[in-house]
Amino acid sequence: MLNRLSIKRNLNIWFVISFIFVLLIILPTLNIIFKVFEQPNDIWYHIKEFLLPEYTKNTLLLVIVTALLTSIIGVSLAWIISIYDFPLRKILVWGLILPLSIPPYIAAYTYGGLFSYTGSIQVLFRNLNINIDQKYFDIMSLKGTIFVFTFFMYPYIYMISKSFLEKQSASLFESSRILGKSPFQTFIYVGLPILKTSIIGGAILVILEVLNDYGVVKYFGIQTFSTAIFTAWFSFGDVTSAVRLAVLLMLIVVFVLVLERLSRGRIAYSYANTKIRPLKKIKLRGIKAILATSYGVLILSLGFTIPTLQLVSWGLFTYYKINISYLFLTLNTFINAITVTIVIVIFALIIANYSRLYKTRLSKIMSRLTTLGYSIPGAVIAVAVITSFIAIDNHFYRFYQLFNPNIKKLVLTSSIFMLLFAYIIRYMAIGYNSIESGFDKIGSTFHEASRSLGMNSVKTFIKVDIPMLKPAIISASILVFIDVLKELPLTLILRPFNYDTLATKTYEYANDEMIHEAAIPALMIVGISVLAILGLNKAIGKAGKKNDY
Amino acid sequence: MNFHTIKKLSFLFFSILTIFLLASCQLGQKDTKEVVNIYTDRHYDTDQELYDIFTKKTDIKVNVVKASADELINKLELEGEDTEADIFIVADAGRLFRAKDKGLLQAIENDVLENNIPNNLQDEDNNWFGLTVRARVLVYAKDRVDEEDLSTYEDLTNEKWQGKILVRSSENIYNQSLLASFIAISGEEAAKDWAQGLVNNMARTPEGSDRDQAKAVVAGIGDVAIMNTYYVGKLINSPDPEEVSVGEKVSVFFPNQDTTGTHINVSGAGVTKHSKNKDNAIKLLEYLSGEDAQSQYAEANYEYPANPNVEAADLLKLWGEFKTQDINLVKLGEFNQKAVEIFNQVNWK
Repeated sequence: MLNRLSIKRNLNIWFVISFIFVLLIILPTLNIIFKVFEQPNDIWYHIKEFLLPEYTKNTLLLVIVTALLTSIIGVSLAWIISIYDFPLRKILVWGLILPLSIPPYIAAYTYGGLFSYTGSIQVLFRNLNINIDQKYFDIMSLKGTIFVFTFFMYPYIYMISKSFLEKQSASLFESSRILGKSPFQTFIYVGLPILKTSIIGGAILVILEVLNDYGVVKYFGIQTFSTAIFTAWFSFGDVTSAVRLAVLLMLIVVFVLVLERLSRGRIAYSYANTKIRPLKKIKLRGIKAILATSYGVLILSLGFTIPTLQLVSWGLFTYYKINISYLFLTLNTFINAITVTIVIVIFALIIANYSRLYKTRLSKIMSRLTTLGYSIPGAVIAVAVITSFIAIDNHFYRFYQLFNPNIKKLVLTSSIFMLLFAYIIRYMAIGYNSIESGFDKIGSTFHEASRSLGMNSVKTFIKVDIPMLKPAIISASILVFIDVLKELPLTLILRPFNYDTLATKTYEYANDEMIHEAAIPALMIVGISVLAILGLNKAIGKAGKKNDY
Repeated sequence: MNFHTIKKLSFLFFSILTIFLLASCQLGQKDTKEVVNIYTDRHYDTDQELYDIFTKKTDIKVNVVKASADELINKLELEGEDTEADIFIVADAGRLFRAKDKGLLQAIENDVLENNIPNNLQDEDNNWFGLTVRARVLVYAKDRVDEEDLSTYEDLTNEKWQGKILVRSSENIYNQSLLASFIAISGEEAAKDWAQGLVNNMARTPEGSDRDQAKAVVAGIGDVAIMNTYYVGKLINSPDPEEVSVGEKVSVFFPNQDTTGTHINVSGAGVTKHSKNKDNAIKLLEYLSGEDAQSQYAEANYEYPANPNVEAADLLKLWGEFKTQDINLVKLGEFNQKAVEIFNQVNWK
């Protein structure tokens, strides 16, 4: 009897917190989605006739080809790194994650500059008196866009696939080999099927990032769905059509997410034994070793080394412009990113735990809704958030006046809270997905054991689940941290007075075509992200060893 | 372990709480100091330097929010009468028109501003005042194009330029204002024909920025580029020697000198309708339109000063005086949407 009561009470705690949080997140969005039901106007028909067909085609091409290429690169790298041993492997293991530290819009500016007429590549050829047709340097094309997205987003798939492979039992692959399959056949018949979930999960992240990108496509002049949203909004000043387009985009995203759910739903791999014999790496020799090393080094160079060196060389032109304001920029950026990360991780843990413990339809819907923000274009979130915050300020004005009768009305709207709130809506999905998959991995056996031994759900959560979830928590934190660090559209619109981050500074310079000046803050973003990634790598390694379950 | 984790968790909670409290303290603070709040889409470092000088002179603190013009207009609309912004600065007359059209600005009757800024560079109802002027000109390869062959924007649609014209995407506001000015001068049909003709003569699908167009001219992708004057100034004064050499290999041509004049646009500023620090805002506008600030705009950014008493930078003087389009800049805003529609219809990417 007593036990049942406590379950009830606990259900309420988990449910109430989750419910309030989900409500907070979706209300602003709902607010704006209702615009879809307004009558379409002339502008909508103009967009539909002249823009949509081409924009949709470009977007689909971009999304499909990028998803395909990132999957191929990400999975093949993860496979080689996890199964084989070859020179430089130890560096490549974490080095191959580093492209994540360069935001795609910075990568676009960097490669744009590198390939431009005044860029190092063409200058080199000119100095050598080699004439090459300009069309081969045309990075600002659909192909170039795919290149940038592929080389700076494949780490999503690489990371997820690698961490999954590391948890697999050696016996799986040994059996395949004993049965006479070649390494390639083992990859196709054993590797790919077990990696399916990881690939789809990673590819979804890539697809969402591509759909939401505005910086790269704008600079390269590629017309996609997000350009259409901005044209509708800004050139035509028509928020309704913009929202209509955004909702259309969201529907596509929801469709993709449902597909992912379905694919995940049917497979469940688990090992009866908690002790898994780790893979023993096969040492590659000769030509095979050279091939493996050069493949890794090539990808690393294109995705990290080359653009970073280019940024450094630009930075050398303008380093004397660094001043004390950069310290504040960095501090702002840091505080932002850390606050958002902490809030997201805590709420992701609570909601994911609720949805795991009480597998009701409501909990499922709630867990999906939490991650909706990731599929909405940043600018749309921005308007949704401003509208809601102004409404809140209007309601609370009397309350503010209790403290200070002369206070301005827009207290929250002009504060940093609005920006932080928007970040949370936007990046909840990133944190939530990592933590949810962490819960998936540990399963519920340990939790149930603890409960049956008399601990309540809160205690079990803190004492049993959280320690086991440590790797997931760390990777969720780092992913969110890096994303907030790089975030641009929300920060631009929602920031309070005199507030700059490294990303906005980079953008301001790059937008004014001052690429040399932009290099310094860009390098700082890259530097901090690299440190975060190294920290992640170390922490996961440690956590993995400590909790050898 | 248990105690430890709880300690850690509570530490996290308290750190968030502290950050929030610190942030709200800042909010509660009553600032007795005089301030003026700016929404601007100009990101130049020189602008900040001017604000700093203003603060030193007047003891009025300048607060800045920077974002794109459209986002700022949107923000002003949403904030309505509660907005904190006092001044709205953007680098396009079309956007200034839009802000005025939406009732976001107010009329300012001020003799200093009237004296500093010529009539054609300010709003007829004094809702905004131009601060700097930029011309959208032709930039051509010195070695391949004879200056004699260049004449007007319209001439660029001639067959002889087939595959030789470079220009950035129609998403760019400078292009939209250019086409809007043609609609204002010669009507919608003619403007559409021009846009179609130009698309037919493009050397490549539009891509990159204004600077990239100049580079493409030097690279031989095309012969003539349409771009803003100050980018040429920036190329010639770039820290990168390769960019300097690009700047030196091209020449600037002011089109339509014998006909309708070269297209110009302004960066301008207006006082917001619901400004809470109107006096300070006007003081800042007076300062920005004055000779000191104007010459700094001209020197540092290669823009033409709006104040006729201030000389242009040496480089701009070298290019000489030129005839400008004789239209009210408000038209750029009025015809912006039409221009965008035409761009889409003729498939100017």
